[in-house]
Amino acid sequence: MTFAQALFMGLLQGATELFPVSSLGHSVIIPSLLHWSFKQSDPTFVPFLVLLHLGTAGALLVLYRDQWIAIIRGFFAAALRGSITTPAERLAMLLLAGTIPAGVLGVFFETRIKSLFASPYVAAGFLVVNGFLLLGFELLRRRAERRAALDSKPRAEQEQSFAEAERISFRAAAVIGACQALAFLPGISRSGVTIGGGLLAGLRHQEAARFSFLLATPVILAAGLVEVPQLLSSGVPVGEYVAAAILSGLAAYASARFLLRYFRSGRLDPYGVYCVAAGLVSLALLRFNL
Amino acid sequence: MKSNTTAIGLGVVGIIFLVIAALYALGVLQILASTTSGPHYKHAILFAVLAVASFVAANFARPKTA
Repeated sequence: MTFAQALFMGLLQGATELFPVSSLGHSVIIPSLLHWSFKQSDPTFVPFLVLLHLGTAGALLVLYRDQWIAIIRGFFAAALRGSITTPAERLAMLLLAGTIPAGVLGVFFETRIKSLFASPYVAAGFLVVNGFLLLGFELLRRRAERRAALDSKPRAEQEQSFAEAERISFRAAAVIGACQALAFLPGISRSGVTIGGGLLAGLRHQEAARFSFLLATPVILAAGLVEVPQLLSSGVPVGEYVAAAILSGLAAYASARFLLRYFRSGRLDPYGVYCVAAGLVSLALLRFNL
Repeated sequence: MKSNTTAIGLGVVGIIFLVIAALYALGVLQILASTTSGPHYKHAILFAVLAVASFVAANFARPKTA
């Protein structure tokens, strides 16, 4: 992989990790469409992706630094006391409940599933599926809005009628966490399924995105930190990879800021349409080898 | 569901998870790992987190005196 390719991949990964459009799917499809010769089965590719993910996790930590301090304090306070008294304590426990299923599934199944489906055709196919999932989440949300007689109200008012992340149930948090396992399939977006899960659990769009980003941080960070010693001893061009990771972090930070603003009144529909269209176009381009 | 029995049960589960975490970290346990030798730090971290969660749940389940 050349330095320019590494930077491009960093930008791509950082920009697409938090958008509900599947960073893994894009990382599999786009190099194939550009006829880049590096192989994703190469032993240096995994450490590269790990560093890019650390960039994304770093961006999320910076973005939510105040909340993470409150969450960590809240966790220890609630754990030692044996009861929850503040919203930060409840959020800390919700994140723990959501992280455990994601961690269990990730540790035991992620590598196996990713290696089974790491083909650009499969990724493009699942990108289409991801698009329909996002559209489906919004369809169900609109139904909920109609049931609550909110469909004639302005968007901002509609959103205010739904809950904040701290109000979600522990069962819902665990289910949303487990949904992250769907993202082992290239083309299915981690943030897409967790934001969608949050919407089904009755969260506002912006709160569903916040919960999704907070939920992603510990898993991405832990997975990345564990791989760092192997990265340093594997003889890869660390300087170039770190530069790509910084770019990935900057792109992820900008994406998160944009999405949190967008989801004040925006919906998942445009990303759903994009995924269906991009998946179908990618399938056609791959089929005809263009 | 607050009872001493539940709390003790969760505490025991936590200790079991802690032992499993140590065995993975030392490379003694190789079950469900991608390679068959060496330490498995991801598995160890997972079981350490499960142990912490069990201890937290045990503390939540313990009946509190007013």
